[in-house]
Amino acid sequence: MHSISIIVFGPLLAAIVAGLGNRALGNVPAKVLTTGLLFLSAALSWPIFIKFLGGHGEVEIVQVLHWITSGSLSIDWALRVDALTATMLVVITSVSALVHLYSWGYMDEDPDQPRFFAYLSLFTFAMLMLVTANNLLQMFFGWEGVGLASYLLIGFWFKKPSACAAAIKAFVVNRVGDLGFMMGIFGVYLVFDTISIPDILNAAPAMAGSTIGFLGYRWDTMTILCLLLFLGAMGKSAQLGLHTWLPDAMEGPTPVSALIHAATMVTAGVFMVCRLSPLFETSHVAMSVVTIVGAATCIFAATIGTVQNDIKRVIAYSTCSQLGYMFFAAGVGAYGAAMFHLLTHAFFKALLFLGAGSVIHAMHHEQDMRYYGGLRKQIPWTFWTMLAGTLAITGVGIPFTEIGFAGFFSKDAILESAYAAGGHGTGAFYVGVLAALLTSFYSWRLMFLTFWTKPRWAGSEHIQHAVHDAHGHDDHGHDAHHAHDDHHDHAHDDGTAGYHPHESPWTMRLPLVILSIGAVLGGFAFFHQFVSPEGGAHFWEASTLFFNEHLMHASHEVPTFVKLAPGGVMLLGLFLAWMAYIRHPNWPRRFVGQFYLLYDFLLHKWYIDELYDILFVRPAFWLGRLFWKGGDQGTIDRFGPNGLSWVVVQGGKITRRLQSGYLYSYALVMLIGLAAAATWAIMPK
Amino acid sequence: MIGLAHYLVVSAILFVLGVLGIFINRKNVIIILMAIELILLSVNINLVAFSSFLGDLVGQVFSMFVLTVAAGEAAIGLAILVIYFRARGTIAVDDVNRMKG
Amino acid sequence: MIQVFAFYLFAAIVVASASMVILARNPVHSVLWLILAFFNAAGLMVLLSAEFIAMLLIIVYVGAVAVLFLFVVMMLDIDFAELRAGFVSYFPLGGTIALILLVELVLGVGAWNAGALNLSTRAAPTPEHVPNIEAIGQLLYTRYIFLFEMAGLILLVAMIGAIVLTHRARGGVRSQDISKQNRRRPQDATRNINQPSGQGVEL
Repeated sequence: MHSISIIVFGPLLAAIVAGLGNRALGNVPAKVLTTGLLFLSAALSWPIFIKFLGGHGEVEIVQVLHWITSGSLSIDWALRVDALTATMLVVITSVSALVHLYSWGYMDEDPDQPRFFAYLSLFTFAMLMLVTANNLLQMFFGWEGVGLASYLLIGFWFKKPSACAAAIKAFVVNRVGDLGFMMGIFGVYLVFDTISIPDILNAAPAMAGSTIGFLGYRWDTMTILCLLLFLGAMGKSAQLGLHTWLPDAMEGPTPVSALIHAATMVTAGVFMVCRLSPLFETSHVAMSVVTIVGAATCIFAATIGTVQNDIKRVIAYSTCSQLGYMFFAAGVGAYGAAMFHLLTHAFFKALLFLGAGSVIHAMHHEQDMRYYGGLRKQIPWTFWTMLAGTLAITGVGIPFTEIGFAGFFSKDAILESAYAAGGHGTGAFYVGVLAALLTSFYSWRLMFLTFWTKPRWAGSEHIQHAVHDAHGHDDHGHDAHHAHDDHHDHAHDDGTAGYHPHESPWTMRLPLVILSIGAVLGGFAFFHQFVSPEGGAHFWEASTLFFNEHLMHASHEVPTFVKLAPGGVMLLGLFLAWMAYIRHPNWPRRFVGQFYLLYDFLLHKWYIDELYDILFVRPAFWLGRLFWKGGDQGTIDRFGPNGLSWVVVQGGKITRRLQSGYLYSYALVMLIGLAAAATWAIMPK
Repeated sequence: MIGLAHYLVVSAILFVLGVLGIFINRKNVIIILMAIELILLSVNINLVAFSSFLGDLVGQVFSMFVLTVAAGEAAIGLAILVIYFRARGTIAVDDVNRMKG
Repeated sequence: MIQVFAFYLFAAIVVASASMVILARNPVHSVLWLILAFFNAAGLMVLLSAEFIAMLLIIVYVGAVAVLFLFVVMMLDIDFAELRAGFVSYFPLGGTIALILLVELVLGVGAWNAGALNLSTRAAPTPEHVPNIEAIGQLLYTRYIFLFEMAGLILLVAMIGAIVLTHRARGGVRSQDISKQNRRRPQDATRNINQPSGQGVEL
């Protein structure tokens, strides 16, 4: 039994058992089973990855089951293991296992725990199917599977209407992307007569330059195929245009946000582009589009992230922005750098999310940062681990050396490659630098608002609930009134309203610590294999990823200002955040007062949601209502069953009038009948 | 001279008169019963006329039975009328819709 | 010659009196006109040499049925004032249909006359030189005996029905129950009581 089979199907087994068992199984067995199997998968994944890191890995394709044979189309369920897969395996299984463990503490009071863990494991299984897919159909199966799991998990607290709406939004927006993906698969089959990935990638260069007819126009074949496939990636990875679902996906529990909307599902798009990179290499137009979209998303999300007040939304927009980085790295041909950033980002973004979850847990479900403050003394473990994550994401490190946090290696690799690539890459570089400035600003803003300054949570409703509940627990009887007054006096003094946040349990702290190790050391440990020209060529050889050695060389020879720019803007962002939130706390208010139009624009996410509402949502609802009221009710029902019953009732009403009870009517009818009979009798035959 | 047709025409006229009689009586049930007797009379004339002209006695025998039934029906009809009058105090059945369905 | 004259006389009076039956105001008049119609119909039948039927008509119809009508009309104390034919609403339609019926019947007659209709073999050919009543008697009690019995049954049912319908048990009638009277024993008839005076007796 290949270990890959256990890695992939273990979570499926866990999901089935926990999901079907539900209440019959109980909380603890469900938790233990799912988490245990996930840790097993993680434990089995690292050796595979390390083997590839050492250069001893070989591409393996494990056949599971034969699926479809139809004419020339032959599709199998098969698990492909190569360097790219191995990278994703460790990311997915490690983060998923840690999230499972974290959820023990976070979801402790939830009544539906088996269902939650079942969904998490189901998601993991689908994601693993996606990354081990050897043909496009299996990848699409995984693609849809993670979309389903995302829907189920975002809408986990389905009694909340906002959660249900967010889940539907995520699914529907993804669907738009999936349409592109599907058309891409159809196009690939049409052009290459196969959907097996190795075969496609081998045949791709031959197709470069040919044209194909689509929607009445002639297009360059590879361009249109790549663009369609990229549309799918845009949907899944929340790029500009199909990004609207990601912030709303924060309605789900925080572990879900950490696993799906930071580390794994949203990176599926990047993974797909890297998996099919030889395909993309044949079309410069497609790559330019990828670069432009990636860069646009990067700066767009960063601008919105600076003004958000909800801690999870800031991190969500940060994710969106970092995904933009990965895409424009792929767009300029630095696929290795993109995957590297994917790896490091998985660690520090999951860390940030889980840390935020810890803060939220400590603050009794308050998520608005304006009600935080001074938490570094109260929840030290969360503080230090989030500090590590923030240092990682802002890319703190010493230039010209190989000393730094994870983001330092990966982000700088991307920016240098972009500059070195030239063309659109140069523009992407400047955009990326600007985005890095904003990233640094909002990341430090988050830290300062949450962990420094004075406590400000007295006005929070959640905190007041917590305090009242605490009072209810503690003071019975006649002491209540006294205690109440004392606490009130306290409340006026220090803005705490008498509430003291407590640190999270070990099940939540341990994943934070492990992830922070990854955030600190991840860059240093792996950059050689991922981005350096020699190491990278060797590592990525055993995969489908197209490794552009030339570009990687050039990225090391970029001008000095390019190497210093990311670090510089990081310090500038830190300085600005410090000034605005520690030194002169009235700066934000003055800024908003002065530039209220800009602030409004950013706060409302560039009004894109409103635009989509007018362009798509309302017409769709109008159309649906038309079909429902006009078509279904008005036509089909009206003339079908309702019409039939109406006819019967009306017929009955008319016929009933014959039985009037009046003698003379009966006599008249008899006479008419008699006359009719006489008429019939004398009719000539 | 006087052929079968003459008798048949007379019978037809009587029949129609009887039928009309049922209609144009709004208020008097007895007139209806009498109109029915007229109808039966016309049928009798018809039967006897045929019997005579065709030389078949069956017509006359049948006419006897019609007579019997007519008598019986008149009796029952009048009995019902009597009860109705007892119950209602009037024999005007114009507006009564007790048999309404 | 006289037959023609008789026929037209009888026919005219029959039609006229039938019309009067339905048009008369007074129900008693209607009954009398009905009687006249019966008489003239009987005359028509005599002309057709069916004298038995004619006599039967007079005896049964006039003697029984019409008299019955008269009884009921007299008994039911009808208020004449409100009884007037308000036949305006239904008359057009009824009249039209009746007219259609008449036309059809006459057409039927015409078709018969033109020889378009034919009878099958006679079921009971009229015997020659036998009086009508004897001929009918011979037929009725032999071949149509069952129908004859059935007619009797119908009359029986009608009689019972009429009695049942109109019979009402009057309260307070003390009728005799003979068998009960015969069953009475002396010891049940009297009872000896020693009753103190001044108090009533329980019977």
